[in-house]
Amino acid sequence: MSVQRPSIEVRNLVKRFGSFTALNGIDLDVYPGEVHALLGDNGAGKSTLIKALSGVHPPTSGEIKVDGEIVQFQSPREASDAGIGTVYQDLALNPLASVTRNFFLGREIKKGLGPFGLLQMKEMNAITIAEMKKIGIHISNPDQPVGTMSGGQRQTLAIARAIYFGAKILILDEPTSALGQKQQMEVLKTIRTVQKLGNIAIILITHNEIHAQLIADRFTFLSLGEVIGRGTAQELEGDEIKKLMAGGAELGNLKAELAA
Amino acid sequence: MSSDTLNPAKRNEADRHRQKNWFQTMLDRPEIGPLGVMLLLFGMLGYFSIPEGQFSLNPFSGEGFNALGIRNNFRVIAQLGIVALGAGMLIISGEFDLSVGSMIGFAGGCMAMILKWGFAVIIPYPSFADGFTIEGFRLFEIQNVSPLTAILITLCLTLSFGWFQGWFIVKSGISSFIVTLGGLFFLRGLTEVSYRAFNKKEDQTAGSTTVTDLPDIKNIIEVPGLGEMEREAAKSLPNNQLLEVLKTAPESTVAKLTEQLSYANEKVAATKTVLQESRMTQTLQRSLDNAIQSGNEAMQKMLQAKIDAGVQVPEVKAKAVTDFDLAKAYIDTLPTARPVAEFFGGDILKPLFDWLYYTADWNVNNFGNQFAPGLYACVMIWLIMAFFCYIVLSKTQAGNWIYSTGGNLSAARANGVPTNRVKISLFVFTAFCATMFAACQVFEVNTADTAKGNLKELEAIAAAVIGGVVLTGGFGTILGILLGTVIFGIAKEAFFYIPGVDGSFYRVFLGAVLVSAALTNENIRKRIIGSA
Repeated sequence: MSVQRPSIEVRNLVKRFGSFTALNGIDLDVYPGEVHALLGDNGAGKSTLIKALSGVHPPTSGEIKVDGEIVQFQSPREASDAGIGTVYQDLALNPLASVTRNFFLGREIKKGLGPFGLLQMKEMNAITIAEMKKIGIHISNPDQPVGTMSGGQRQTLAIARAIYFGAKILILDEPTSALGQKQQMEVLKTIRTVQKLGNIAIILITHNEIHAQLIADRFTFLSLGEVIGRGTAQELEGDEIKKLMAGGAELGNLKAELAA
Repeated sequence: MSSDTLNPAKRNEADRHRQKNWFQTMLDRPEIGPLGVMLLLFGMLGYFSIPEGQFSLNPFSGEGFNALGIRNNFRVIAQLGIVALGAGMLIISGEFDLSVGSMIGFAGGCMAMILKWGFAVIIPYPSFADGFTIEGFRLFEIQNVSPLTAILITLCLTLSFGWFQGWFIVKSGISSFIVTLGGLFFLRGLTEVSYRAFNKKEDQTAGSTTVTDLPDIKNIIEVPGLGEMEREAAKSLPNNQLLEVLKTAPESTVAKLTEQLSYANEKVAATKTVLQESRMTQTLQRSLDNAIQSGNEAMQKMLQAKIDAGVQVPEVKAKAVTDFDLAKAYIDTLPTARPVAEFFGGDILKPLFDWLYYTADWNVNNFGNQFAPGLYACVMIWLIMAFFCYIVLSKTQAGNWIYSTGGNLSAARANGVPTNRVKISLFVFTAFCATMFAACQVFEVNTADTAKGNLKELEAIAAAVIGGVVLTGGFGTILGILLGTVIFGIAKEAFFYIPGVDGSFYRVFLGAVLVSAALTNENIRKRIIGSA
């Protein structure tokens, strides 16, 4: 895999909010067909990093390359046009609307004048069903409101949507955090299906090192805005991951403190 | 890894959704409740309005659904319906407009005043020539404004106000409830001030808050040889001029009018005969009752015999059709010279209502004349607007944007929906609806009043909610809004006819329906998003 060019390369990325340094020189390489787990405690800078990558907060300094080209995003739209699809925790779905209407929200297929163009519902329904099937979810009724779907199915819908609209780098923000056990597994399966497509680089942000271990090919650990460890799944042992997750030495100290 | 390969026969998630047949699907639609209530009210209005003592299975035989009843009830429904469409769509996008009622008053006032005095743009400037005064520079002025121009100028003002309210709400983030409540007071006040300022006669200290004595614009016609005048004025022309007018009528028209007039005259005569007979019978019956009371048996026998023999009155002769009648009837058929005014304030379906009188023998009043000339034009405007709203909301990209803006604002924004533009456009649309309402009213009755449209904003919201629109946005249909409007518009009439029940109970009823509708809507919404 190392011969391949990374889908996205981040070099020495710095993001400051006033006097606060949220990210202090981050390096990150994500390869196509790979799940790259981004781990770290609350406040480690995971969210800021993905917001910098998806154009929400333009970085203070540093460099982002997509497919070898240097990019500078001023808005989420530019990032998504460049092929960075971000699936946030809230999924950006309208629970009251149908699956198809959500799938094409803001990018509807229409015929005619501007926003008053007529929706091509049949075509949109067919695409929605086909795209959902590609990553392993069968929906019988594309007219069913998204609110009636399970959390895992919704996650899948958001992922399928991002991929269909051209995401080559898929950023998943805590996709399993608000779900039950069974649905978490469902989402992990979906991620594996996307991984097998081979051409999409996945950045998985998570708290849960078990999930990361199950599915990730590569790990990057953040703490206080810096990378404190990285490696492939083979290189890292279970305990090491746990330790790095909690921000390095702190876990050991906690053990001692709790024992006292 | 996928579940299919592990166990192909395994149920997948989609199977967990109950498959429904068409009947269950229909019962699950949010419109089913309002539809039931509407049918109930229709039944009440139809059957309770049948006069006491008469029995009929035909709901169209009572006052509620005779020709005039239909005409009047549908006017009330359509007027409310026009504003309910705007209010409903705005609520679906997650906002409110409480200024609709005041906007109706403002727009009506604008139109009436422009029609009466013309329109001018005056730029004020300070002048020091003669001490300090404020002078006005007349930039331009239009006299004798046509109905279309009056409506367009009014639209400029109302739509910009709607745009401003929407812009202010999305930019400031202040709740639309407060901003449009401000709009409600502001516009109503501005309307009153303008009326008093402009609508003042020389001898008055304060102006009047109504504009009357506008000509009957929709009935201005081009009379052959005499130029433009109001229809009523033309019909009361001196006899010799009437005959001149009749001479210009094509022969076929005269023949048809003669036929229609003689039919009407015969109908009136026949009705009169029946009326006189029943009056006579009633008189005899009363005398008989008196005779029974006083115990005069001879008298009783005589009267009874007379009643049994049946009353014979001389048949009333039908009036002959004169040339003057023909001339007046011809003037009635002349097309309007102000089609825009006719479009908003005139009548529609006249041929149908004529047919109902001349051929179907139904559209007849107690004196044998034609009962209703047609339906008010506002019904047509309401239905046209409803059709367009339906297409936009359920079939276009704009509709998807409206639903998502109200359903989940941040999701819509994240997917590139211009939510601010959606909301502002809908505020402009509610202003448009209010202006259409006002145009219908002004051209129907040729008067305007500052109090017009009072409380319409709340009625429109209520109608939308009864029709299944959820106040928090994202949920509702045009069909539902139509049903809610009909319920709201007809309840008053329906309760009026219930024997022994105070008519004001309709408000009690509407209040209860409103709250239970809101509860139902909320439950449906929760059921949809509940599995989160």
